[in-house]
Amino acid sequence: MRRTFLIARQEFIKYVTRRGFVISILMFPLWIMLVALVPQWTGGGNEPRYHHFTVVDRTGGAYRQAIEAAVDRKYHGAANARLTFGAPPAYIAAAAGAQFPAAVRHALGEASAPVFNAPTLDAVIVVPGDFGVNGKAAAEIWSRETLDGDFHAFIADALTQMLRFKSVQKLAPQLKDPAVLSATALVQARNPDRAANSNSTVDSIIPIALAIILFVVSVMNASVLLQGVVEEKSTRMIEVLLSCATPREITTGKLVGVIAVALTTLIIWGLVLLAMAGIASHDTVALVFTSLRAVATPGLLPLLLVYFLCGLLIYGSLFLAIGSMANSLADAQSLLGPSMLILMLPNLMIAGVMRDPNGTLASTLSWVPIYTPFFMMLRAASNPPAWQLWGTLSLAIATTALMVVWTGRVFARHVLTTERPPSLGALFGGLLGRRA
Amino acid sequence: MTDSIVELSNVTKRFGDFTAVDGLSFALTRGNILGFLGPNGAGKTTTLRMMLGILPPDQGSIRVLGQSIARVRARIGYLPEERGLYKRMRADAAIAYIGTLKGMRRSEALARARKLLEGFGLEKFARVRIEGLSKGMAQKVQILSAVVHDPEFVILDEPFSGLDPVNQTELEAFIRRLAAEGKTILFSTHTMQHAERLCDRLVILAGGRKLFEGTLDQARALLPRRARLAADADLSFLRTVPGVARVMPAATGQPFWTIDLEEGNDGRALLAAAFERSVPLTHFDVAPPGLHDVFVSLVGPTSEALPA
Repeated sequence: MRRTFLIARQEFIKYVTRRGFVISILMFPLWIMLVALVPQWTGGGNEPRYHHFTVVDRTGGAYRQAIEAAVDRKYHGAANARLTFGAPPAYIAAAAGAQFPAAVRHALGEASAPVFNAPTLDAVIVVPGDFGVNGKAAAEIWSRETLDGDFHAFIADALTQMLRFKSVQKLAPQLKDPAVLSATALVQARNPDRAANSNSTVDSIIPIALAIILFVVSVMNASVLLQGVVEEKSTRMIEVLLSCATPREITTGKLVGVIAVALTTLIIWGLVLLAMAGIASHDTVALVFTSLRAVATPGLLPLLLVYFLCGLLIYGSLFLAIGSMANSLADAQSLLGPSMLILMLPNLMIAGVMRDPNGTLASTLSWVPIYTPFFMMLRAASNPPAWQLWGTLSLAIATTALMVVWTGRVFARHVLTTERPPSLGALFGGLLGRRA
Repeated sequence: MTDSIVELSNVTKRFGDFTAVDGLSFALTRGNILGFLGPNGAGKTTTLRMMLGILPPDQGSIRVLGQSIARVRARIGYLPEERGLYKRMRADAAIAYIGTLKGMRRSEALARARKLLEGFGLEKFARVRIEGLSKGMAQKVQILSAVVHDPEFVILDEPFSGLDPVNQTELEAFIRRLAAEGKTILFSTHTMQHAERLCDRLVILAGGRKLFEGTLDQARALLPRRARLAADADLSFLRTVPGVARVMPAATGQPFWTIDLEEGNDGRALLAAAFERSVPLTHFDVAPPGLHDVFVSLVGPTSEALPA
């Protein structure tokens, strides 16, 4: 036990004093900051780019007015409005059929900026004459470059609103203002077992963040662990360690060291992100604390911690086993590639799982042993059935124990050999108890 | 009570179809220095690993300090062939780390590490990282980490590797001092001069099998004594002298004729024969064969295993 602790302590000091650790500690919050700020710098969240457009409304003008009214409502005639519009040139309004593209080309080209400093026309919106008749509702946006989705969405919203207004007006002619139809409903998920003002979406923030951090921390620290073992093999340090401690003590010590590094990383990132959220806005801090309060319950917090530790141990064991089988970093890289693909798979499923955290996909993936901790952390705040919670918890603990024992075996068998790494079949055999 | 520190009895180790160590037996008594010699691939490292408990033998038994290895791990010191140190650790911390793994308290290990470094004149480098030390200094740090916990039995795998002649002499003195303190030392080497100067006993391995075990004198006795003569005349007449086993003329550019003597012959008959023929000798010496010759004759390509 003492030797395990000493090895864990040495591993911890070895990793946290590396330049790479400090860089990665700083990089992640920086990365989060960039993810949050870049959209704002480049035009802000859901804001369209700058566009000067015109509308050719062949239905008589109601839809053109609807779009122009939507622009006015959004920007109130501000000088720096992102969307501006002008009346369509007469030759476009008159053009039809095969002549129309040529007329648009002309309007978007040399004829678009006749006056110095005047806005350049970059889109022509065409509302066909039968728009809104017999269920037809297809308008067109003509432009020479691919336009941003936010502009498309803005135009579609304005047209849809007018379309609906016209339908409603047939039933209620007294309605005069299309804006009455712009109200949208907000649906908040509530849980009777939680506080009255709790929100399931907000409650899931911390578990989802933990699941993602589990992946990032595992990949980051476990690959350092792998490199460390390969280095120890090449310098024969591993022999010195083996002359002092058993393979089980060494592997356990290394894994405990990695857990300590991961938890340190987690705490530092948590504090840095909280500080960043505080700088960004008090609302964000309040949101984070609301999510923390939801998680910090006697039922959920220990569960999340157990899943987090199991995940770290499973992935750490995998990388440690790979390191003990590799004779060089090149060897390790060749084994690392497929392992990384396996580890990255759950990330591709996050959206699907979060759409329905207690659906078939989420439930099924939660029973894949090496992914159990990851998916159950994602789902933890969504109140999965108790039998799934206890079942997957047992599975995660059993998988962790099996992986740690297997890694000890692989380590003892391979760490001093210079033979080729074993085949996949031999490794799975080892996992099932046969000699790896 | 037996004074054997290490007892290997019919130990065999196989890796798949390859037998690395084949029925090896030997014993090592307290306070002795045993030279463990053999060509590359002889099974030396595998044997050392088995003695450290890193590898289990497939057959046979090993007892160290009268017990199974797992119980006495902390009483053994080990120096691997290459630098087994963390490059980014400070010299004193690297030595102390091994001490703590061997059961010492950290403060005690650190104090002893600094004292040992001082003994080797490395006190100025105590807080320097291993990556900042020369190869020789790092080798010394490695050696100190093998003995920081005051072990009873020390295994040194190529301890002189990377050291200049001055440091080699210093290390030889250090090893003798350890033996004088009652520690038992086993070291493997390819350099026969070190083994000749240091070892009380020798074990020579080849192909996983023991070819010789005994003292240096017993090893030398495996080959005939050899005389070297130089003269301006042809010395082939010495073939007829009683007690001469073989006469080898001087190689091109070399002055010495080499004469292998039969057992019990001290070479005086050679001097008498030369005097009788009035052949003036410019050089004459008789020396026992060197360990190098014994080693080559035992494990070289034309060797025949000689009885131990």
